[in-house]
Amino acid sequence: MEEMPEKIEIRQKFPSWREMLKPVKEFEEGRLSYISLPKQVDSEFFKMPFGDVERDFDDLKLPENWKEIFLDALKETLEKNRSFKLFMDICVRCGACADKCHYYIGTGDPKNMPVARAELLRSIYRRYFTPAGKLFGEWAGARELTEDVLKELYYYFNQCSLCRRCSLFCPYGIDTAEIVWWVRRILSRIGLNQRFMTISIEASSRTGNHLGLLPGGMYGAIQQGLEELKDYTGLDLHTYINKKGADVLFVAPSADYFATPHWYVMLGYLLLFNELEEKYGLTITWSTYASEGGNFGTFHSYEAAQLLNSKIYKEAERLGVSFIIGGECGHMWRDKHQFINTMNQPPKHEEWKKFWENPDLGELAEGLRGIRFDNYASGEHGWIHILEFVAALLEHKKITVDKSRNDKWIATYHDPCNVARGMGLIEEPRYVLRNVMNHFYDMPEHTIKDKTYCCGAGGGMLADELMDLRMRGVMPRMMAVRHVYRKYGVNILLTPCAIDKAQFPPALEYWKIPIEVGGPMEMVGNALVMTAFGEKPEDRQFDLRGEPLREEEGEEGE
Amino acid sequence: MIGVIFGVIVPYIAVAIFVVGVVYRIVNWANSPVPLKIPTTGGQQKSLPFIKRTVYDHFDSPYTWWETAGRMLLEIFLFRSLLKNTRYYLDRVSQKDARWLWLFGILFHYSLLLVLIRHSRFFLDPVPSFVEQLSDIESFKGVFIPSVYISGLAIVVALFLLWFRRIFLSRERTLSLPSDHFALILLLAITISGNLMRYFFKADLFAVKELLMSLMSFNISHAVEVAETIEPIFYVHFALASFLLAYFPFSKLMHAGGVLFSPTRNMPNDNRARRHVNPWDPGDVPLLAKGITVAGRTYKSKKLDWDTYYEMYKDQLQEIEEADYKIVPEEL
Repeated sequence: MEEMPEKIEIRQKFPSWREMLKPVKEFEEGRLSYISLPKQVDSEFFKMPFGDVERDFDDLKLPENWKEIFLDALKETLEKNRSFKLFMDICVRCGACADKCHYYIGTGDPKNMPVARAELLRSIYRRYFTPAGKLFGEWAGARELTEDVLKELYYYFNQCSLCRRCSLFCPYGIDTAEIVWWVRRILSRIGLNQRFMTISIEASSRTGNHLGLLPGGMYGAIQQGLEELKDYTGLDLHTYINKKGADVLFVAPSADYFATPHWYVMLGYLLLFNELEEKYGLTITWSTYASEGGNFGTFHSYEAAQLLNSKIYKEAERLGVSFIIGGECGHMWRDKHQFINTMNQPPKHEEWKKFWENPDLGELAEGLRGIRFDNYASGEHGWIHILEFVAALLEHKKITVDKSRNDKWIATYHDPCNVARGMGLIEEPRYVLRNVMNHFYDMPEHTIKDKTYCCGAGGGMLADELMDLRMRGVMPRMMAVRHVYRKYGVNILLTPCAIDKAQFPPALEYWKIPIEVGGPMEMVGNALVMTAFGEKPEDRQFDLRGEPLREEEGEEGE
Repeated sequence: MIGVIFGVIVPYIAVAIFVVGVVYRIVNWANSPVPLKIPTTGGQQKSLPFIKRTVYDHFDSPYTWWETAGRMLLEIFLFRSLLKNTRYYLDRVSQKDARWLWLFGILFHYSLLLVLIRHSRFFLDPVPSFVEQLSDIESFKGVFIPSVYISGLAIVVALFLLWFRRIFLSRERTLSLPSDHFALILLLAITISGNLMRYFFKADLFAVKELLMSLMSFNISHAVEVAETIEPIFYVHFALASFLLAYFPFSKLMHAGGVLFSPTRNMPNDNRARRHVNPWDPGDVPLLAKGITVAGRTYKSKKLDWDTYYEMYKDQLQEIEEADYKIVPEEL
């Protein structure tokens, strides 16, 4: 028998504000991000200040006048951004946000409370930019900027997934994502970038997508998808790429071209596009140049985000499409909903302007008349979410679905943070899911919709070296999943987010919840009856995973 | 002498600091550019006509100016975001409501509002009838003699409750800075001294009103005259209040004005209908392609425009051209 400890003691890690002001010296393995290498931040297409030096965390090799640069950048940020300045000034430290952060819940590290995270920087702001901090120093909660403090900033500001859950509960709407985003920008000015996100940013700035996929590779991947579909459905399908004169440009996160379970969603897109073209003549094209819906720049800085999302409107213009449909991705929709048309000039070409004067799909394909987007969108933006699009098709009965094909799935739906809190796309996916499958159950109310918990891997936290942080951060979400798994026997977790789809499989394994992960478009693809190709509801034998739709023959009917 | 210092000089200085400070802060915020339209959407967006929105969605994910105004009003008068508060417990799936903070906050702020309204009797002549009526209602006139103003006591209770949170809850203790305690202690001192003056150590309220009226009309010689006649207890209250006014613009108490400027709350969720223009970036050429300058050196990223892209991957793109931009399954 193991001996019981004599006394179990719970000690407060930082008993007072003074302890909180001292920078931590110990950095947990599994929570500390690697620093970027020169090949990522000194590349021709993505050049960051002081990116030419190889750094590691023990030896930051900071530029000589780093303090000055840091403070200048902080000053610039305060002047450039009202929200940042305001959020530095008005926090009352009421603590409402504290237990709203999945990283704080998961790690228990007090400095992971959203308010504490912001205070890491606020203390510096007070010291250098407010009279109270200059006069009273520590007593006003101010502290000097030292290299240790800088390390702490890097450590904690790369433990936030920019999910904005805290901002929802803050009485002043203080948005930690905003603070973190701009602090990462400041850190990038002295050469400190997080490796994982800059790998993708650099790749995307050079090739058009995060995976660094070249045109031929993307072509091949989609082709393989068509081949698989031929095996599963027996239909000869096709799709377009870089096609000028198509009606719609489709932009998906690049993970959809390769990763699993993203792949099944990709097959779902292809089925839908073929049905629409064959039945109504609506042509939808992919693009190798605008081949990335996601935007890791939105985790890094305003400028990086802009560098990556500037391509897409240009491509829409070059191809002469009428509007853009975006695929299943979370942070993509923060970028494509709130950022893209501010950071760039929306397209101004003829087809675009003409369509948005009267945004009725009937203008592009007569059979689709009646589906309109002018209720909430305009030519100043021009993006429609694929699930909004499918919801409209279903509502107007333009596509035929057979719900029973998804009968083996009992699904629940995870709202990606940015889709829910940066856009408000909440009911559309549920509308779609209820229409394409019979068994759909929501998780408890406080973990979904606008209050959704992050998957713990957004905001650049999907890095392998952050596994400890990721598995801890996903805990609140996993507990909610376990609840519906036990209560309703849920066997698939659906999410329209590429990062979720990469994070959930290991997380479900870690938290011992034996269910699958997928995307809503996979369910749509399963249920979609390809009527234009003469398919009957009962014709389909395999689902998009290549598994038989019906477990045993002869069970039906009699 | 006390009367002149704390009755005339200090309040003038305090009010001056307050006005200049608050105006400076507000103007400073209002003049800062807002680069992006970043409302935090707390509900269903305005979307396709058949996607229904509840009443709450209109305020939590506002689309029109009116809905946004509604969201701000709910935030200011009902602390709507705090009202959503829940507390996380590891051992259960459901979360327990934890709206104590909301309750204490509402109790404090509304008491403060009532107290301030009642205090307007010292500044206004004649006293507006609604001030009288409000005072009568909240004191249940005629029940106690002298009348007991509920708001005056409630504000003390609320402040203690808010302070106890910071003292006894471990998380809040860790978070609280001296300034957080200081603001609460200062407000407690003011409200307690006010109550003491009301119920135990009476001051000559007619003289107080005369003092304030002459201060407001800049009749300084008369103010000095009156100030000397008022009891010291009044100056405890009055000096503390003056100090609060002077402290206000430098402190977190500015949240009172700041809440109005918060871009995550005061912007409509209509990004797709109306383009937001960033005042310092017209969005024509990516800033990194123009180059960013740090410590005298300019770092310029090459822009991957279509022509560059085409040059780089010519072979593969030409193959796609040859396939007439169409992908079909490979014949086996």
